[in-house]
Amino acid sequence: MDLANHQRILLGLIRSNYQVRPDDDAYFHRVSQSRDLEEARGNIFLWRVYVLERACVLTFTLLKQRNLLKQELDVFIRQHNISPFRETQPPDFLEALSSHDDPLIASVAKFELSLWKVRQGDPASYTVFWSVEPHSILNNLAKNIPIDEESVPKGDYQILISRDLPFLFQIDPVLKQV
Amino acid sequence: MALGVTYEGRDPALLEKMLPYVDYIEVTPETIAEVKGGKIGLSAEVMSELKNIGKAVKIIVHGVSLSIGSHEGWSLNYLHLLDDLLEQVDVVWHSEHLGYTKVDGEHLGIMLAMPKTEQALDLVCERVCTIQKRYGFPFLLENIVHVIPDFPGDYSDAGFLNALTERTGCGLILDVYNLECDAHNHGFNIPEFLNELNPTNVRELHVACGVEHNGFLLDVHSQLTRDSTIDLAQYAIKQVTRNAEVVVYEFMPEAVPGLGHDTIAEELRRLRACFRN
Repeated sequence: MDLANHQRILLGLIRSNYQVRPDDDAYFHRVSQSRDLEEARGNIFLWRVYVLERACVLTFTLLKQRNLLKQELDVFIRQHNISPFRETQPPDFLEALSSHDDPLIASVAKFELSLWKVRQGDPASYTVFWSVEPHSILNNLAKNIPIDEESVPKGDYQILISRDLPFLFQIDPVLKQV
Repeated sequence: MALGVTYEGRDPALLEKMLPYVDYIEVTPETIAEVKGGKIGLSAEVMSELKNIGKAVKIIVHGVSLSIGSHEGWSLNYLHLLDDLLEQVDVVWHSEHLGYTKVDGEHLGIMLAMPKTEQALDLVCERVCTIQKRYGFPFLLENIVHVIPDFPGDYSDAGFLNALTERTGCGLILDVYNLECDAHNHGFNIPEFLNELNPTNVRELHVACGVEHNGFLLDVHSQLTRDSTIDLAQYAIKQVTRNAEVVVYEFMPEAVPGLGHDTIAEELRRLRACFRN
């Protein structure tokens, strides 16, 4: 048994992108059919939850409220080579969600990512555009209160995020050009 | 027997509660690292804390991402962090896990145990020798949890560790909770393992507790130590690992809000009383 081949097959089984072949060692057949493998995949998911739920509170809460957490986290785990350095995981996760089809998820993720960068000392300023009024959304997410989207005023808003602002961010309506 | 505890920095109130009960603080370079300008480096804030802590207790380093068993090579990122940390803080010894976290540069997201074959043993021994030469002070490896079925290799678990320490002289961490997980999840025979293990090089023991999920006992370090873990550690200390110097209680930083500072301090007081004699 060659070590490189052994490790490559296990990587493929963990990531669900390797099908055990008839001529593979019986060991890999046993692993592929084991409950342990399924549980190991679940452990990887749980470890990401532990790290991300603390660092990406707003986005995490929104995904949970929309019952999208498992789906989005599974996609993130499958599509990203997630570093063991936990500090790199939140920005990677938020970056991935910043282009989400759901505009609210994208806006919240962009806002939280910008805030994370500024808190880390990034001197740049960021602007995130919203199609709904952000105050109540952010307030509810921060307090884990369900969002009633029907009651949130629609409109064009922007949040400026910068370390030069007293609270690091500022919400303003986008004034239409006349 | 001394007592140690994990500490990842940035929580001086927790540290203040823990310090009266411990002789060692265990730090993990990866969790005190931060990203600045796209590069990973040690947090200056935490390093400043560690320099102060080092005046009161001994510091030991316990990495998680060296990936000493990866066929293609270990993590240079980890070694750079370790180099930086050791330049700034006096450390009694450093340690890692006997396993791998990446394959061909792709991160597994979990740590897998080495197959106990001659090829794997040769690879790990060569790297342990390189590390010992590079740093010139003790290096320990820990028995990790088997999250998937074990590969039937050339050695038993204890036999592999015995051969490793005989060839390299490296130290061992006996993670008692990991043994319990393996016994619970795979029917691992702990008495047989302890009976076969050459205990001479065991310098540190770990205790911790996770949760049971789908019938599996998970290695997540989120709970207070179970009595069975303490009993097993006490047995190992009295009957097997007589050269061990410290028992370290491990919990992950994500568990702190749930456990609470006072509860963690009380746990350390309890563990200190258990392991003092």
